[in-house]
Amino acid sequence: MSDDDKRILRARDFWGSIVLILTSVFFLIETRTIPLFEGSSAGVSGIQWYDSAAIVPLCIFTSLLLLGCLLLGISIRAGGAEQALSAVGLGWDRFEAIRFSTIMVCLSAYIFGLVPRVDFIIASALLLSCLIWGYTSGSTKRMGLVAAIMALAATQALAFNASQALWSRYNDDYFTLAVWGALVIFMLATDGARRMTRAVPVISVIVPLFLIMAMAFGFRQNVPARTGLLFKQIEYHWFVTLKPLWNS
Amino acid sequence: MDFVLAQFSGFAVEFQSLLADPATYVYISCAMFLGIVFGALPGLTATLAVTILTGFFGNKIPLDYSLIALLGAYVGAIYGGSYPSILLNIPGTAASAATAMDGHPLARSGRGAEALGLTTTASFIGTLIGTLALLVFVWALLLISRNIASPEKAMLALFGILLSGTLMSEDLPMKGWISGLTGLAMAMVGLDPILSEPRYTFGWPYLLSGFQVVPVLMGAFAVPQIIEGLRAMNIGRAIDISGRILPNFRQVIRRLPTIGRSGVIGTGVGALPGVGEDVAGWVSYGVGKTVSKDGKNFGKGSMDGLLSSETANNACIGGALIPLLVLGIPGSPPAAALMGAFMINNVIPGPTIDPHIILRVVAILVLASFTMFVMGLFMARIFIQVLRLPPTLFLPVVMVLTTIGSFSVGGGINDLYLMLAVGAVAYFMNLLKFPIAPLVIGVILGNLFDETFRRSLFLADGDLSVLVSRPVAATLVICNVLLIASQIPIIRQLFARLFNRTKLVGAS
Repeated sequence: MSDDDKRILRARDFWGSIVLILTSVFFLIETRTIPLFEGSSAGVSGIQWYDSAAIVPLCIFTSLLLLGCLLLGISIRAGGAEQALSAVGLGWDRFEAIRFSTIMVCLSAYIFGLVPRVDFIIASALLLSCLIWGYTSGSTKRMGLVAAIMALAATQALAFNASQALWSRYNDDYFTLAVWGALVIFMLATDGARRMTRAVPVISVIVPLFLIMAMAFGFRQNVPARTGLLFKQIEYHWFVTLKPLWNS
Repeated sequence: MDFVLAQFSGFAVEFQSLLADPATYVYISCAMFLGIVFGALPGLTATLAVTILTGFFGNKIPLDYSLIALLGAYVGAIYGGSYPSILLNIPGTAASAATAMDGHPLARSGRGAEALGLTTTASFIGTLIGTLALLVFVWALLLISRNIASPEKAMLALFGILLSGTLMSEDLPMKGWISGLTGLAMAMVGLDPILSEPRYTFGWPYLLSGFQVVPVLMGAFAVPQIIEGLRAMNIGRAIDISGRILPNFRQVIRRLPTIGRSGVIGTGVGALPGVGEDVAGWVSYGVGKTVSKDGKNFGKGSMDGLLSSETANNACIGGALIPLLVLGIPGSPPAAALMGAFMINNVIPGPTIDPHIILRVVAILVLASFTMFVMGLFMARIFIQVLRLPPTLFLPVVMVLTTIGSFSVGGGINDLYLMLAVGAVAYFMNLLKFPIAPLVIGVILGNLFDETFRRSLFLADGDLSVLVSRPVAATLVICNVLLIASQIPIIRQLFARLFNRTKLVGAS
């Protein structure tokens, strides 16, 4: 590791150690809610300190606190505190910040908004199209656009079908499908000359379709959004139309 | 001697039953193909291959088959990393970083096919050496480990976390410890294993059962890889290879000492808890450079250099499984993922493991190495085509694979939330050069440490001397203390001074 790398790392360690110290203190305070010297715990009486459920977490978070302080000391001695607020200390340039934050928006929208509510094939097709097309060229404009598209679809799903009782409704499935269709048309209209762009819609549909069928009918496992717009039809025809063919 | 013979006869029975089952060939071929593809694609790792297949095969098919799939992918991915190393000068996995040093110059000089043929043979022999060590040494260690009780288990778990933290940290060893302790802290969430007292659940019922292993594995290993790899990258054009990819047996026989030495080094390094194939490759490469007659040509296209790293990284697989199966401490990051697969199948690796599982693992590794050898020689040109795929095409697919794999293990949508949260934290930890494998090892061993440590104190009425009352436990306590002390600057200086004085006295 070069001296420059170390300098950058010590500046980042300044922030890392502060986060570690604060987290350790928070969990040490939280550990106080677990009985230590009370004599009874979880309905069991005659409990000594060494039986307590708090003893190991207490040791762990105390150790983390000490290590956090040591890391902070090392960082300050190496000049990390002085550079902590500079671009070096924050560790990112503008491009990297945009790249990371847009990816996190896409992934969060997919996991928190779409997967529980929207048909898995549609939700995954949108994610795959966004990630493949959005990040292949390295253009920050495209990254922003795909993050906005994912956020739009997730916001609609969250706004209209927030509670679990509403997850089986189809308005978000149709909306996400429309958003994906619009994205595909836009992709092909603006960048259709590239072979990879033309392949994106095909990959985006085939991959989740194959995976969900393998998981649901091959491994017979639970899959997300079982009552989703497309999967419900696939499941129906699998058991009602196709399966009787080879069973008979 | 009887004991070794019994081992070999047990292995023969397992191997025969493996060969007699037609399903074996389906699983091993598919897993090996997937593993080599994962290894060959820069940005995907062996750990990721095992992690993703854990989500798919972990608890959905019988353990025997899921082991075939996971071990096949593990062996294949470590070997597959050599393709981009040799043809693109980009290591497919960290394990094959040293391979690029000599493999790429060889390919540039028109000897790519020969390099790939030798690499395939060396990886095959390396895997067999590691597997042989696993077969023989695992039983010797199992006999010793029968005597270990709660204090030893607690100290062993702590030692595994601290040692992996120390050895895997690129920066300060302390960062490895922080990572390991963070994993231990994560394992504290949920009902405690002795009194069923809820800890850090914040009123969320999902957390009562604690953090599940598979989402943590997926989050820790897959999500940061996806975030890091999603960037426009010109991976270059793979060097065209001419000629047939066949092993040159005369070369192999001539270089058997190098292959043997590298195999032993790889196995030894793999047996250290938490130290993976990348370290094995570099250590073997370093030793090879020092002792080989061809040492001066290392880095310029030396066959010895290529064989040193490639044999060692595959031999490391067998080595890494020794501490996993005997002590319940993963020997490498992919072994940590493999441990997750054992855990979700309710098999607890360690002294209480069913000996048949060990023999089965050995039989699968032998079959996997043969499959790798055959596929490597006859399908190499297909794997070379895979190198054309850009990371932005396959990493999003990995995200969808990760999502459905993590969801189907059991925890449903909450597991996905956990996976993403762990992934974001792991990404920042990577950025700050905190190693991730100790965190996963901490999560896996956390409950064992908590339970055995408190049980030891309970049986001794809170007397801490119980931890040093038995020879093995006392040794482990000393090892833990020495490991920590060795990183304190004053003590290091003291040791260095003592060492220098001893050397001076010896010299005079």
